[in-house]
Amino acid sequence: MQAPATERGLYRGFPAVHTVHIKYAQWVAVSAELFLSTTDSTPMYQQIVDQITAKVMAGDWKPGQALPSIRELASASRVSVITVKRAYADLMLAGIIVTRHGMGSFVAESSDLPNDLLRAEFTQHFDAMLACAARLGITRHEIRQLLDDEQADPTPDTSGGSTP
Amino acid sequence: MTAALALSGVTKRYDSFALQDITLSMPEGQIMGLVGVNGAGKTTLLRILSGLARADAGTVEVLGHAMPAQQVAVKKELGFASEDMRLYKSQTLRWHMDFIRSIYPGWDEAYATDLLRRFDLRPEQTLAGFSHGQRVKALLLLNFARRPKLLLLDEPTTGLDPVARDEVLQALADILRDDARSVLFSSHNTRDIEQLADTISFVHQGRLLASKDKESFLDDWRRIICQGTWPADEHAWPEIAMTRQNGSLLELRVRQFSDGLLGRLQAQGLDIRSAEAMSLEDIFVTTVRAGGAA
Amino acid sequence: MKRFELNLPMIKHLVAKDWILFQKQLAAYVTGGIFALCLIGMAKGWSFYLGSLLLLVVMVGISCFSISTSLLVERKEHTLAFVMSLPLTPLDFYLAKLLGNLVTFFVPFLLLSVGTLAVIAFTPLPDGLIVFSVLIFGFVTLAYSVSLSVAMAVESEGWNTFAMIGSMVLINPFIMLLGQIPEITHNVSTERVVWSVPAVAILLVEIVGSVAVLVATGWVHCRKKAFY
Repeated sequence: MQAPATERGLYRGFPAVHTVHIKYAQWVAVSAELFLSTTDSTPMYQQIVDQITAKVMAGDWKPGQALPSIRELASASRVSVITVKRAYADLMLAGIIVTRHGMGSFVAESSDLPNDLLRAEFTQHFDAMLACAARLGITRHEIRQLLDDEQADPTPDTSGGSTP
Repeated sequence: MTAALALSGVTKRYDSFALQDITLSMPEGQIMGLVGVNGAGKTTLLRILSGLARADAGTVEVLGHAMPAQQVAVKKELGFASEDMRLYKSQTLRWHMDFIRSIYPGWDEAYATDLLRRFDLRPEQTLAGFSHGQRVKALLLLNFARRPKLLLLDEPTTGLDPVARDEVLQALADILRDDARSVLFSSHNTRDIEQLADTISFVHQGRLLASKDKESFLDDWRRIICQGTWPADEHAWPEIAMTRQNGSLLELRVRQFSDGLLGRLQAQGLDIRSAEAMSLEDIFVTTVRAGGAA
Repeated sequence: MKRFELNLPMIKHLVAKDWILFQKQLAAYVTGGIFALCLIGMAKGWSFYLGSLLLLVVMVGISCFSISTSLLVERKEHTLAFVMSLPLTPLDFYLAKLLGNLVTFFVPFLLLSVGTLAVIAFTPLPDGLIVFSVLIFGFVTLAYSVSLSVAMAVESEGWNTFAMIGSMVLINPFIMLLGQIPEITHNVSTERVVWSVPAVAILLVEIVGSVAVLVATGWVHCRKKAFY
């Protein structure tokens, strides 16, 4: 899928004509801002990773779509360039984004990415649940019993399929 | 790409204070945060960089030019705002803006107008009527609107109310977009440095304790809570900056964290409860309390 | 050090800045001076004494005011750092300060001096006063030069005040001294303008002294390589 020309790095090749550059960047910044907090106990690079992952899972940023440049994201989210670099590096390792040399970063092309990520999250929760059960001494049989009980009297579905 | 600044072996002696053997550099397009207690040498360092003071020894290069020999060329592209700087009380902000505009060709009037609105300043008001926060913002505006290649700021957000501080940080974040412009700022608001700086430099008693990229710097430090008794053998644990014991609870502040360290602690019979990152403020206080070795 | 690479546009900016900053107060002093000249011109006994006293006060005021506001107040008000961060060298700065001071003093001073001489020449006042006045003006100039060099050298407000007041208060003994020299007093009440040898000698000392002090001050400060 073709990313819109505006996001595809046009502003990266822009000459340093400051007033025009800033005005353009302000327009782009609307879509590049993340909501970061310095008082949150999660390190900021992790917040960036989490929020970008959430956006990909929710479909805000589609597979193949260009990511904001590191500087653009840093400026719009008021965080240092090095933190964004680290977050992008982590996202690359996780396979959520890919970096093409000289062209910038893009959401990974895998069309199943949102699902893959959700599945990874599910597996994480599942393993954690099993570990917790082991510490409490809850047997597999008891877990199955709990599942059957839940099915008979289901709790309301809190999320519409996207990450809270 | 020329370095924004490069200091080598810089020394400066005053009667009761001396800056010793500072070697520091910063590439273009970065933001460096300077941390240190009052009197540690931050202001002296900034003065040497801006050409207002001359080092007794060592070399100073700013924006590719030797200082203070070529200070005129440097100051054309340099913005400097410090806490002890004042403007002319009898004149209006507009007079100051016109004065700066007549000297620097890079003055952007549209940007200045935008900053006036964002900083909530009235240009027709005389400086005598400005509060501390307004004065700081006025000085910053006079610097920002010229779009200098390097900004040296001494405590740009100190003493500002939360809204003003937010606006200043926003203006600083705007500079990030340009990869040819750099900022070096000192601040007691360590959260500002934590948020915006690419590199953190730590000055203490006239010496440079550390100058490292922010992420690695913060990654090095951990606050480990464990249960057990501390063997009180500091020499075997150079990575640990500070320990506190209360009954069976032990808090360790570690300056050089590694997974191997956790293993060694466990081998000592300590039961690790948690190992968390520390805020820059905690790191700062710990370093100073621990006797200034980072 | 490139001693002769002066940043002339910058120096012009600074001198213009200093001039603008003090225009209003300077105008007030000059108005007072003109009023004093009117009093002197009336050529009555009481108005002459009152007028000449007022004139001296105004001249002393201009001298001290010019130095105090451009140098001392700038230091106290910490606007120095602002100026020093502009693209100029210490040499440009001190030269501009010197020039700025000279302009803010000499413009009104010369105005009033010439005005006084004109008043003396074109009114019933004895023209012999001209020599007397010129010598007094010369003294004021010398006192100003000394105060200026002290102000540029020393930051302490105490020493500066001492230098300014001290040198100005010496006007009285100086005038009395002039009164002791027969060649001068002899011609004061006449219509003849006589430049006797002692008068010329005193004037020469005043002029050469002022110039020497100013040049020495400039020399010393313009060799400074840094502001702090």
